[in-house]
Amino acid sequence: MRDVIHLAGVYTKITAKSWFQYRVDAVLRSLAVFLRESTGVIVIYFTLLKFDDLNGWNTHELLFLYSLLFLTYGIMIIFFTGLRDFGNTVRSGNFDRFILRPRGLLFQLIFANADWFAAVGHGGLGLVLFLVSAGKVGVTWNLETAVYYLVAVAGGVLIQGAVFLFLATLNIYLFETRSLKELLYYNMRKFAGYPISIFHKAVQFIIIYIMPFAFVNYFPAQYLLRKEDMAGYPQAFLYLTPVVGIGMYLLAYLFWRYSVRYYKSSGN
Amino acid sequence: MSFIEVKSVSKTFRINKRKSGVTGMLANLFVPKYEKKEAVKDLDFVIGQGEMVGFIGPNGAGKSTTIKMLSGILFPESGEIRVGGFIPYKQRKAYVGSIGVVFGQKSQLQWDLPVIDSFELLKAIYRVPDETYRKNLSRYTEMLDMGGFLNQPVRQLSLGQRMRADIVAALLHSPKIVFFDEPTIGVDVVGKETIRNFIRELNSQDNVTMLFTTHDMQDIEKTCDRLIIIDKGSKVYDGTLPGIRERYGTTRQLDVEFSGPQEVAPIRHVEIVDLDNNKKRFIFESHEVHINELMNLLLNRYSIRDMNISEPEIESIIRKIYSGEVF
Repeated sequence: MRDVIHLAGVYTKITAKSWFQYRVDAVLRSLAVFLRESTGVIVIYFTLLKFDDLNGWNTHELLFLYSLLFLTYGIMIIFFTGLRDFGNTVRSGNFDRFILRPRGLLFQLIFANADWFAAVGHGGLGLVLFLVSAGKVGVTWNLETAVYYLVAVAGGVLIQGAVFLFLATLNIYLFETRSLKELLYYNMRKFAGYPISIFHKAVQFIIIYIMPFAFVNYFPAQYLLRKEDMAGYPQAFLYLTPVVGIGMYLLAYLFWRYSVRYYKSSGN
Repeated sequence: MSFIEVKSVSKTFRINKRKSGVTGMLANLFVPKYEKKEAVKDLDFVIGQGEMVGFIGPNGAGKSTTIKMLSGILFPESGEIRVGGFIPYKQRKAYVGSIGVVFGQKSQLQWDLPVIDSFELLKAIYRVPDETYRKNLSRYTEMLDMGGFLNQPVRQLSLGQRMRADIVAALLHSPKIVFFDEPTIGVDVVGKETIRNFIRELNSQDNVTMLFTTHDMQDIEKTCDRLIIIDKGSKVYDGTLPGIRERYGTTRQLDVEFSGPQEVAPIRHVEIVDLDNNKKRFIFESHEVHINELMNLLLNRYSIRDMNISEPEIESIIRKIYSGEVF
């Protein structure tokens, strides 16, 4: 265990050193991510100034909903950049090198690519939104709500991590899954920025059962905010986030373990 | 004692056979057709501990596929592979700690960072004890004359320097077996010589088992005692370097310079080729024509200024094997 932590530390040192070779670029990159994602929030903000609320959710409550999305993504992407870019790793044949080293494959993929700066962009936005909204949404922050919040964030990280791991695994068979990720992940995430109750049933179905973003932010936010539109869903959904997270991650991990055997290295 | 054992190993790749044109593209999208390519066919060989074996063959012969199966990256479709008591593709984590692999075409160094940083990362990955690391690092960097660029970022290195750094990177954990996949590709003459000397020394001093693929026959001539040639996935030769001359290199050529323009009558089993300046070349098989008799015959009949007999170059024999002229 100590040995694993040591190696993770050496990897992180190497990554940090590489960044400092291009520090201006690194800082600009996280700034760019921050601004790009902020525009979405700004649009909602100004729209809501005209409407007062969206299906019962006021501006601050919507920002709170948004903050969960970005906070969890920011934490997830620190560790899963290597899986996000796994298609490149496979196509370039660099995955061979991971196989040739006497360490766990996932462990290497995660720590050799941990991207702290991009995480600052996403997570930073999540944090800013949380700080802006948390005091104004009427949540009494005590031990119970704080623990719930932390567990929900962890569950949300696992859910999105599972999706990334699943899509990365598909690369072993298909070589490129970028469009699939665009379709399944990034497009669906745009829906998740709003209370899902405003959408058509079909969209809600996808966002609850297929690509369960609803468990990343909507249901956890509901637990804390108790809006009226929760009446349309089973109460149990309020508590399912960690279960969904662990379940999905486990499935994705088993799929990964099974598929790695079928890895074909690209010839040269 | 056999250290590396390859027993009737085969590996087929499924290749998507693409048709051309728009209709072909559509057909390919909905009803993809696959073609089987046998990269390695029924391959057999055994390598003993401490042996140094050259592994050659034309492009696409299956060398890289074999190396990848031996190093545990690919699993064989049928047959058996054992290296140092391990089954590479089944016992990956335990196995790969005892091998080193150098891919000449693909560096494992951190592009933006000084060479030494990559070495320290590898030290952590392979759990190399401080003592061993220091000893190996100082020994190898001295042997390969690398002191000058250890602290230089990899992106600023010449190809030859990068290759030497990559070789050391593969050896820091004192592997018992090293696979070299084209370790001299693109390196200049002096650099190649340094690398060859290093490899030879490592093999003789540390008893490291080595398999070495290359397209440069000089690499093989200067380092390997044994040679395995594969073509189209199958082994076509396995033996010593001199042995290849005995087996395939029976052709001799005799270049003769006459004192003036000279017509030569045909001789049985001998091919006669005109060269410039009164010179002719006589090509024959050593088991068909006795060299003494041929020379006597020529000396008796004609006025001769100079004679020169030569064996074929290894390079040209190999070329003939590749093109399927000799078997």
